[in-house]
Amino acid sequence: MTDTEQRTDPPVSLDTAKPGVVSRIWEWLARYRVQVLGIVIGGVLWEIAGRAGISPALPPISAVLAAGGELWSSERFLDAAYTTATSILIALPPSLLVGVALGLLMGLFRPVEWIVRPYVNASLSLPLVAIIPIILLIFGLSQTTIVVVIILYVLPVVMVNTFAGVRSTDHDLVEMATSFNAGRWLTIRRIVIPSARGLTLAGIRIGVGRSISGGIVAEQVVGVLGVGGLVQRLGGAFAVEALYAVILFIGAVGVASLALINRVEQRYQIKEV
Amino acid sequence: MIQVTSVSKVFTRSGKSFEALRDVSFDVGTGRFVSLIGPSGCGKTTLLKMMAGLIKPTRGSISIGGEEVTGSGPDRALVFQNFVLLPWADVLTNTAFGLEARGVPKKTREQMARDQLERVGLGGFERNYPHELSGGMQQRVGIARALAVDPDTLLMDEPFGSLDAITRNVMQHDLLRLWQETATKTTVFVTHSMEEAALLSDRVVIMDTRPGRVAQLVDVPFPRPRDEGLSDSRDYLEFTGELSHQLEQMQRIDMARSADEDRDRGDDD
Repeated sequence: MTDTEQRTDPPVSLDTAKPGVVSRIWEWLARYRVQVLGIVIGGVLWEIAGRAGISPALPPISAVLAAGGELWSSERFLDAAYTTATSILIALPPSLLVGVALGLLMGLFRPVEWIVRPYVNASLSLPLVAIIPIILLIFGLSQTTIVVVIILYVLPVVMVNTFAGVRSTDHDLVEMATSFNAGRWLTIRRIVIPSARGLTLAGIRIGVGRSISGGIVAEQVVGVLGVGGLVQRLGGAFAVEALYAVILFIGAVGVASLALINRVEQRYQIKEV
Repeated sequence: MIQVTSVSKVFTRSGKSFEALRDVSFDVGTGRFVSLIGPSGCGKTTLLKMMAGLIKPTRGSISIGGEEVTGSGPDRALVFQNFVLLPWADVLTNTAFGLEARGVPKKTREQMARDQLERVGLGGFERNYPHELSGGMQQRVGIARALAVDPDTLLMDEPFGSLDAITRNVMQHDLLRLWQETATKTTVFVTHSMEEAALLSDRVVIMDTRPGRVAQLVDVPFPRPRDEGLSDSRDYLEFTGELSHQLEQMQRIDMARSADEDRDRGDDD
């Protein structure tokens, strides 16, 4: 895959100042033709495998899309998606803000690192399903439980990444700042934070992904709420096509949210190294 | 005046100690340009960083203008071998960094930085980023950043060491001109090149290794103001030839000794 191919600007049409919806879709397809091709290939392979009847657990994609068409517009699905989305949107801002802040503090102050790090490392390897029952005991069968689980699941990855970013600061730059008598705050603002930026953003990206998977797993364990609850019920009813439709939807949301982050990132681009 | 008085430095790392400097003493007169030269490992950069207040001597002391150096200070500015510019900040912000550290308001410090950039020949590059500049231009930013804080003492750590030969020559001549225009700044300049030291300095401190120590103090006999024509003169070639030869000898002895030590270590195993 060549980069130049994808970066070629779409042809400028001289006769129409604003291109219509159809021509914009065509332009988009032309620009991302390799990606689109990848999706098409995946879909075709899925269809072939499904029709070959390898397993009842693998229906053809056409059947999945048919089930999806019905499901995605149904009230129970939209309700579930809304519940899950609100849990994630409530949980994400505090997770990311507190995660970045604690990561910075860990990176800047050794004692903070010594105190916090064992907990962070432990929580990184803790399976999510192990902590859910405890949260459930405290907050009950409510959205609060889901929100708390997401926060606990997202926080550590954001923290360790930010921390690693702070520690990746080039020692020569810090020495330079010291030689010019720069104060602590200036050193942090001009040197430490820009140094930590790349890894922090990577942590945020992983964190957003985790908020979706963590939220759905929590809902599944709790069993009555949101998309996770729906997955649990569909699985129990052996509604395989509908289950795949939900999975496709979750995947699409994941792709879209990461694309959104990339967009935001480019928008506020600080010059890269 | 910078006074270096019986300075020793021992580094200890995981139980092993390494004597970087032993009993080093010399003076640098106010407004003079002094070069520290010697084979690698002679402690010249360590000594420079001590003057900058970034490293503390194990024994002895360094004082500048009668006051003992205990840390970095606004009277000194450092120019680094590998430039050490902020890669995410433009040339203007980089040049103004030292002023920003002193709390100079943005407008004032940017104007001062612009003036310095003009002096080092980088007018018009204010909004470029370091990676868009050649090594020589990056070091011009490094020099402008140091000059912008108007230090009494300028400390330069092999500033042209990582540049190609031609750029290096140009930079040497430009620094010579720049320094003679400013004239009053006491400068300590670490280098590997005797030609560079002889062209720029009033005095050369030749150092030797294992442990790092002063081998010889040599006054450079060429009158100021100098220009690049000096490097073609017969006197200059003789002077640098003799001292370069001496340096080479030191380097060879050092290599032979380290080979011996390696062999000794081999016998122990």
